[in-house]
Amino acid sequence: MKASRQVQIAWVVGAILVILYAIIPVFWIVSLSFKEGDDITNKSFLPTVWSWANYRTVFASDLFTTALRNSVGMALIATTISVILATLAAYAISRLEFPGKRLVLGVALAITVFPVIAIATPLFNLWRNIGLYDTWLGLIIPYLSYSLPLAVYVLAAFFREIPWEMEQAAQVDGATAWQAFRRVIVPLAAPGVFTAAILTFFAVWNDFVFGITLTSSEAARPVPAALAFFQGASQFSQPTAPIAAAAVVVTIPVVILVLLFQRKIVAGLTSGAVKG
Amino acid sequence: MAGIEMRNIVKEYGDGFKAVNDISLDIADGEFMILVGPSGCGKSTLLRMIVGLEDITSGDMVIGGDRVNEKAPRDRNLSMVFQNYALYPHLTVFENIAFPLRLQKGLKEDEIQKRVRDAASMLELNEHLDRKPANLSGGQRQRVAMGRAIVRQVNAFLFDEPLSNLDAKLRGQMRTEISRMQRRLGTTTVYVTHDQTEAMTLGDRVAVLRRGLLQQVASPRELYEQPVNMFVAGFIGSPPMNFLPAVVSGQRLKLPFLETDLPAVVAEKVTDGQLLVAGIRPEHFEDARVLDAAKREKGVVFRAQVDVTEWLGDSQYAYIPFESNPEVAEQLAELAAELDSEALRSQLIISIDAMSRLRENHEGEFWADTRRMHLFEPRSGENLTRDEAAAADLARLEQEELAERMEQAR
Repeated sequence: MKASRQVQIAWVVGAILVILYAIIPVFWIVSLSFKEGDDITNKSFLPTVWSWANYRTVFASDLFTTALRNSVGMALIATTISVILATLAAYAISRLEFPGKRLVLGVALAITVFPVIAIATPLFNLWRNIGLYDTWLGLIIPYLSYSLPLAVYVLAAFFREIPWEMEQAAQVDGATAWQAFRRVIVPLAAPGVFTAAILTFFAVWNDFVFGITLTSSEAARPVPAALAFFQGASQFSQPTAPIAAAAVVVTIPVVILVLLFQRKIVAGLTSGAVKG
Repeated sequence: MAGIEMRNIVKEYGDGFKAVNDISLDIADGEFMILVGPSGCGKSTLLRMIVGLEDITSGDMVIGGDRVNEKAPRDRNLSMVFQNYALYPHLTVFENIAFPLRLQKGLKEDEIQKRVRDAASMLELNEHLDRKPANLSGGQRQRVAMGRAIVRQVNAFLFDEPLSNLDAKLRGQMRTEISRMQRRLGTTTVYVTHDQTEAMTLGDRVAVLRRGLLQQVASPRELYEQPVNMFVAGFIGSPPMNFLPAVVSGQRLKLPFLETDLPAVVAEKVTDGQLLVAGIRPEHFEDARVLDAAKREKGVVFRAQVDVTEWLGDSQYAYIPFESNPEVAEQLAELAAELDSEALRSQLIISIDAMSRLRENHEGEFWADTRRMHLFEPRSGENLTRDEAAAADLARLEQEELAERMEQAR
């Protein structure tokens, strides 16, 4: 008993250390974002006076609001397209036998580990030539090419878990292949679909390399790239605090999403489908 | 409702293996047909070909007069209960049962409600309608799967080993339940099982399959009394039929322990000195001491040493080891392997009166009803003593019973 108690304490201490390690920078950013003016040099963790000034600055600047609009728009579009295509592709991969199936999955995996920076320069040149430079489409396409394989991989694993009998039962019950897919398979794969959607959304939301190389104006520049162009309230002050405020603003949707879909992601919906 | 007709159905896989080989089978409208056989005999494949989940390599599948080979499962108007139930876990019990109805166009909501409630009350599922399958017990899930099958007006019900996931007690209850439901609805039913108790109790007729080949289609009674070959004889009955080497010697037949007259029907089919396999069911033996004299005359009495006895209250089994002929032993080992049973030691299993106080490791006097003995040709396994006239009689009785039941159902 004594030993197990020690082990328990060790676990708790370890967990607290890990949590502190992860969360202190986040709190620091939050704290920074509430420090007004020269308060950032106050040499203490918390601001002397809590102030919303930085948030007002951030939202007053066109640079940030258009970037935010770009980011939200492109992330939503890329996620939607990616999840729809990935659902269909993953279903085919998990259910059909076709030549080159392993190759498709292998290539998909290879793409996800391919360094982003390696295609940034060629894309920059190509996009300028064909007029996709500095447009939403010009960013959504590379986003898709990186997020699709990941989503396909996640979803294929989920589909493989769903017993074949589910569809066969649906077919015998009078469903077409499409009805069986939509009414039985997709609801069962919902946790997988959500996982894929959130992963895709995060990947796109956090992108910096494409955002900075393939844009030149506010037309398509996403938030992470826009932060680099940030200026303080005056030309002479470092924009550290406003950047922190902007960082907090872009973190909020991510946190909300995770909290919202946490249960969906974790839920093992297939339990009880077959004798367990 | 409709009959199902199979003509020379073949299922051949890419590697040339024939899972189902040239099976022709007529299932009458309203009939309860059982497909039975050891694992790998092609019974489930055949069922899946009826429902359309498996392609038919050649032959014709005719349901209600229409050839359905190329039809998708949903166009065949059949319903199926899967071995693992295949309930939709994201839907409630109500929606699971209503699922096939929701797919039909032009069905009003109140009609769906009514039909689902009818099916649910028939299966006593009313208080569970709002629950999800994950929260149900095995027997309840089984009933939901059946509810989903009976909620529509279909040509036939198909069952794929539906009771194999239930415990023994529940299995007995559900078996009665399925039988009652089928009798009440009068719907043609095809039922796959490897359990011979289910086969014998449920079916109007039973089709015994072996390695993709149809062995015999007959009523349970006919299978039991007039099997066509050693495989069927060994598969049907529990404990299984005893197989003993038997040597023809003039007009006599020599078996271990006993000797009897060569039956007249066999006399012209065999030559002197030929080796045969005699099949006698355990229940056709008796302890000679508890037998009345009139019955004793009709069989043969012999003495043998009992190895082990099993007393079950209502019945009693005695095990008597014997030396088998090596040729027959080899045949029997092959048969045992096919029947998914252990290669049995050569012993006689006999069922004797529970009142008999037989002691282990003592010699006893036993009686065998040699009139009901079957003789098989060892190589082909063919039954040489099958009485075609008696078999035809049994078949006719079965037909009459079915006709009468269908009349009542209407």
